[in-house]
Amino acid sequence: MVPPGVRPGGSDTIHTHGAKTRLDQFLQHCLNALMLGGTYALLGIGLTLIFGIMRVVNFTHGELYAFGAYCMYALVVPVGMNFFLALLLAMVLGALLGAVIEMLLLGRLRGADIDTTMLVMIGAWIAMQNTEQLIWSGVALTVPNPFPSAPLVVGPLSVSWLRIFVLFTAVGLIFAAYTVVNRTKLGKAMRATFQDRDTAALMGVRIDRMHTATFALGSGLAAASGALLGPVFVVNPTMGDLAAAKAFAIVILGGLGNIAGATIGGFILAFAEELGAGYVSSGYRDAMGFVLIIIILLVKPTGLFAQRERIG
Amino acid sequence: MLVIDRLQCNYGKVQAVRSMSIEVRPGELVTLIGANGAGKSTTLKAISGLVKPAAGSIKLEGRDITGAPPHEILQLGISHCPEGRRVFPHMTVRENLEMGCYLRTDAQGIAEDMDSMLDRFPILRQRQDQAAGTLSGGEQQMLAISRALMSRPKLVLFDEPSLGLAPNIVDATFDIIRQVRADGVTVVMVEQNAFAALDLCDRAYVLEQGSVTLSGTGEELLDNPHVRSAYLGM
Repeated sequence: MVPPGVRPGGSDTIHTHGAKTRLDQFLQHCLNALMLGGTYALLGIGLTLIFGIMRVVNFTHGELYAFGAYCMYALVVPVGMNFFLALLLAMVLGALLGAVIEMLLLGRLRGADIDTTMLVMIGAWIAMQNTEQLIWSGVALTVPNPFPSAPLVVGPLSVSWLRIFVLFTAVGLIFAAYTVVNRTKLGKAMRATFQDRDTAALMGVRIDRMHTATFALGSGLAAASGALLGPVFVVNPTMGDLAAAKAFAIVILGGLGNIAGATIGGFILAFAEELGAGYVSSGYRDAMGFVLIIIILLVKPTGLFAQRERIG
Repeated sequence: MLVIDRLQCNYGKVQAVRSMSIEVRPGELVTLIGANGAGKSTTLKAISGLVKPAAGSIKLEGRDITGAPPHEILQLGISHCPEGRRVFPHMTVRENLEMGCYLRTDAQGIAEDMDSMLDRFPILRQRQDQAAGTLSGGEQQMLAISRALMSRPKLVLFDEPSLGLAPNIVDATFDIIRQVRADGVTVVMVEQNAFAALDLCDRAYVLEQGSVTLSGTGEELLDNPHVRSAYLGM
């Protein structure tokens, strides 16, 4: 998520109190993974809606993640907005940006073949990343947060308050996304649309609106993920690239279009990274997840939790 | 009630419907028969807005609905039960029925209709929480028909309701359609099973290569020598 060398200290540092036992260390790694997993799950759910259900190979997903993080920076630092309000606004703006991308680019490509859509999305990705660089330069930025800098210490374990907040918010958003897709009229219309477009139209569903709504929801979740992790790490223009790669990995791991699968996939990736970084080499942190995914896909090519049937 | 005048629909360069003129009066059960590629399904899709006509007009109760989007046409009271049943396979039976009344906002009326539909088809009540894809073909057809009725339509379009069903289920399906019509809903049905369709309908149109070549009451067409040799195999 963050280039080597810029992983910041501050509130995110694992606090060690004298000599930790091996078990304590293991538990600390697991705790860190749990904190990270929630945001990875959000990122994955966002993409599983867009890539898994809509079948759009969405290269802008990582940029929506970066957009969420930059929104946090812009709203909290120059504007001076309240941290929590900024978080809410970042999600809403992310969803709006997603809606604009869908209407402006994908709306014109309905029925176009996948190569065309992919090229357009790659173009959008590059354009968005360069816009971020133009506005905020390539320097990594930090977002201050209102949580106490001293971590919560329970026995041999410690965790920052910010990370606890991030986990709970992420879990809340995961449930919210699940509820929207499975329990609301909008979610029902979305699922109907991507199961059988023409028949959904015959039920009175406005297909274009469902495409826009689904893309906006997925984008909002990506922005939420970036807005939550931005203050934990640092914000820089290339942060979206690795996030996008990880999002695709999570979606493939969990099975396309499967919200529960993406959630579990997100946590698995986080655990693989944290434990890999802790026990193999921290330089291989980002590689660990991908190694795991290669292994899993060799054994089970449909992904870990692929149901025979997708939800959409 | 429904007047189609010199309708023309193209798929790319292929003319699926050349010059189709059909009239349906209130309360009638009208059937369109014809071989594959005669333009039957395309005509229904043009009525419900899935296919944009290239020329001609479609009027519902005097109002021009040519080229209107599907949600507007549904709102005006035309419901389309598509070929091959097309239930949403990964949604439950109940969710499928709920999709049928997607545009309605009268919660109480919806609840009543849902109840009466489930009373009418007890097998659907029994399986209401099951994914629709797990139902048998006949059960899926009942679901598709009920779903099409959940919008409280004035006119229902049935596309090949007997396709791929076991003979006893076919009879049951036609009974349901007869009942729908008896309830005061106008019906337009496309059907390959010409004998059953002509037996069931008030009037019928014979479609060949995208236009109407013959029309008349069911009995008239059952006696027509051309229909007998070309569609009834007699």
